[in-house]
Amino acid sequence: MKKWFKSLTTIALAVSLTAVGASAAGAASSLKGSVVINGSSALLPLTLQAKNEFQKLNPKVKISASAAGSITGPQSVRKGIADIGAVDWDASLDVPGFKKFDGQVANPVAVTVFAAIVHKDVKVDSLTTKQLQDIFSGKITNWKDVGGDDANIVVVNRKFGSGTRVNFQMKALEGKEFMSKGDNYKETGSSGEMKTAVESTPNAIGYIDLPYVTSKMKAVKINNVAPNEANVLNGTYKVWGIGYFMTKGQPSGATKAFIEYIQSEKFQQGSLKKLKFIPLSAVKK
Amino acid sequence: MLDLHPTGQASASAELGTSLRAGSGPSFDRKARLRLFNSAFKIACIAAAGFVCLILLCILFFMFRTGILTFRDVSFSEFFFSTNWDPENESYGALLFIFGTFALTALTLLFSVPFSVIIAIFLAEMTPAWLRNLLRPVLDLLVGIPSVVYGFLGMTLLVPMLRDLTGHELADGLLAASIVLTIMVLPTISRISDDAITAVPKKYRDASYALGSNRFQTIVRVVIPAASRGILYAVILGMARAIGETMAVVMVIGNTAQIADSLFKPTAVLTSNIVMQISSVEFDSTWNHALYMMGFLLLVISLLMIVVMRFLQQRGGKNA
Amino acid sequence: MTDRSASAPSAFGKRSGASAIYNRLFTGFVWFVGICVILFILGLLFLLLQKGLPKLTWDFLYGLPSEIEEGGGIGPALFNSFYVLFLSLAISIPLGLAAGIYLAEFAPDNKWIGLVRICVEGLSSVPSIIFGLFGIAIFVEMFQVGLTILGGAVSLAFLNLPVLTRVTEESIRAVPVEMKNASFALGSTHLQTIRRVLIPVALNGIITGICLVAGRAFGESAVIILTAGVTTSGSMWDFNLFSPGETLAVHLWYVQSEAIVPDAQEIAQKATAVLIFFVLLINVVFRVPLWLNGRKTKL
Repeated sequence: MKKWFKSLTTIALAVSLTAVGASAAGAASSLKGSVVINGSSALLPLTLQAKNEFQKLNPKVKISASAAGSITGPQSVRKGIADIGAVDWDASLDVPGFKKFDGQVANPVAVTVFAAIVHKDVKVDSLTTKQLQDIFSGKITNWKDVGGDDANIVVVNRKFGSGTRVNFQMKALEGKEFMSKGDNYKETGSSGEMKTAVESTPNAIGYIDLPYVTSKMKAVKINNVAPNEANVLNGTYKVWGIGYFMTKGQPSGATKAFIEYIQSEKFQQGSLKKLKFIPLSAVKK
Repeated sequence: MLDLHPTGQASASAELGTSLRAGSGPSFDRKARLRLFNSAFKIACIAAAGFVCLILLCILFFMFRTGILTFRDVSFSEFFFSTNWDPENESYGALLFIFGTFALTALTLLFSVPFSVIIAIFLAEMTPAWLRNLLRPVLDLLVGIPSVVYGFLGMTLLVPMLRDLTGHELADGLLAASIVLTIMVLPTISRISDDAITAVPKKYRDASYALGSNRFQTIVRVVIPAASRGILYAVILGMARAIGETMAVVMVIGNTAQIADSLFKPTAVLTSNIVMQISSVEFDSTWNHALYMMGFLLLVISLLMIVVMRFLQQRGGKNA
Repeated sequence: MTDRSASAPSAFGKRSGASAIYNRLFTGFVWFVGICVILFILGLLFLLLQKGLPKLTWDFLYGLPSEIEEGGGIGPALFNSFYVLFLSLAISIPLGLAAGIYLAEFAPDNKWIGLVRICVEGLSSVPSIIFGLFGIAIFVEMFQVGLTILGGAVSLAFLNLPVLTRVTEESIRAVPVEMKNASFALGSTHLQTIRRVLIPVALNGIITGICLVAGRAFGESAVIILTAGVTTSGSMWDFNLFSPGETLAVHLWYVQSEAIVPDAQEIAQKATAVLIFFVLLINVVFRVPLWLNGRKTKL
């Protein structure tokens, strides 16, 4: 049995070697090869949609994506196990909690807007940056202190390493630390869990990417500016970030073609908008 | 190699008699061949058993190799005796997760073992055959429900229910997690115990009834002790799953690095902390090493628990 | 398999005294708890199925997933689920059975083998995420094959091996020693005894083990996310071992945690119903031959 397994892995190795060889050789001619993407789960819907469309145009390109969290993106790229590392911040620069990744190029692909959300029965509609800082660091623990009912605030946070968390901390809390303990504090692992937690927990506050906001929760205004596309475009709403595809050096071959496809006006104005991301061209320049 | 597919022999039981007759052929050639097959089969079996152990050793080594690097930067006593887990500020106290894991496993077993054993007795000894044949697949079905679904149900139904019952703002914590886990391990424990009880030879029961015992006495004094080996294995398996379950626990335990002094306080266990953070920290950082160390620890804890249970069983066996 | 329990006790049920009261109480209690738990389980299943099952359509089962529009299907993920399940069982059943047979039949009863047994049980408590990390270390980092069906299937097989091993061992040990002795007395070799006597008799337990394992493999997500990825190759019937292999359980995880499609909730409900349905199917498929066989031998 062991022998069998060994021979299988040898075959696996051989096939993978030829696959790598083929991708290197085929890059020059008609587009072939494989692209492995890892990283941010928030960018996953975008990646998967782009993959579907791209593969229709280039049936010989094999694209596989996985998502385990933003930071796995650039790390997999550095280790050489992924061609593209999807990440919610520019990983070629330092951000709170994470050092920069040398030698990697950040290819911007989409703009995401983040919103502070509360359970739909919470009476508060707008919070200032200071109030948000105090709530998320545990200084304010009752809704009545920020103009709501007399009820304890339940803080729902994303886990460390989440791209949404990094962006929210940088832009909405202006770098202030989150609390990490307390009877009314919990962390969730994904956007979906965050959504469910805030929807189902009375007096909860959290934050999420704009596309996930539903009618069962309320996106609060930050400093009296509502989180929506218009306010991002006119520059009044600051809590947004750019999602990047990190590559080792400048991308080439199938990887380059795939990134260019996502950055193309056709995709940006079409599917990307339908997924409720904001096209890059709208905020740049 | 071909002999390694004994499931293909499913139909063999029907021709049990004929096959036994075939074994008595006197030809020397046949005997030699049989002997060869016999030893080849034995070697294949040994290889398979060795392979299973090899996997465990590989995993242990793999976890240990990375995990041990933790102690380059963190002192031994801090890791094991401090409850302050704040890696962003260089505090790596893992005691709270270890405590959480023990507490969660104990609670889960407390809930699930009595229920499971009763269900197993119910299935194996009391229900009529038609109902039994209906219920067994239903129980097996529960094992196949993805843990994500259990977690989601826990999050959307169980936790709000606990919240209403207890008046806590956030009812995530050990109790919610152990209830979800109980439901998850219930089919495993009860089905394997059920098989163990069913496998107790009929003559034991007949002897017990012939001595004038009633059903209660037969079950408690004869059947359960005779099946105890299988039941114990079922419990170990359930416990193992409870220790190792991740996806469901993460959704209802709260994931907060604080020691649980109440059943309703958001806390974290080894697995939930590993799964939440392993993909979010940098490779080759102390934090990453510490998570691998926690994985290693998890393995050691479950191995220890198994050794202890085996020891207890041996002691119990001698006393009885 | 037989009706021993249904008929035996009634003949002695009329004894008087404390033990008879205990007996009544005990019987009543077990029935009560049994029925409660069964009702609870049925309620749970009903809850999971009622939202998804009525909305199931053929297009959903066969269709390709969609990221933007409603009405995406689960076709490739469903296919991958079966493919990965088949591959992982093809690896783990022979290995698990052989190892189980070794432990039950050949292994000498000493400390060393005790250690092996503890190893096997210990392995069954390794959290699935660690198998996932291990799978990454082997397939992605060592062999550089990337996220593949093969990697997922092998990691899953590792996850299932210890359970199969132990269940096989337990079931074979439970075979009455008389049967074995009878077989030996008729001149069978050890191998013949195992093949023709022990395994057929222990088959019920082994099948239970396989069903448990298959169900768990079908519903496992952590391992697959790490080793096979969250994408499919985008087409049905892709037998390539090196394609990315998102399974249905992973798709369910994805839909519940990250997808933006408006009907994510509905897809999750339907996918859950499909999962349960197929686990049931697997159970039936494994059990029907056993049941037929049981009838045949009884006659």
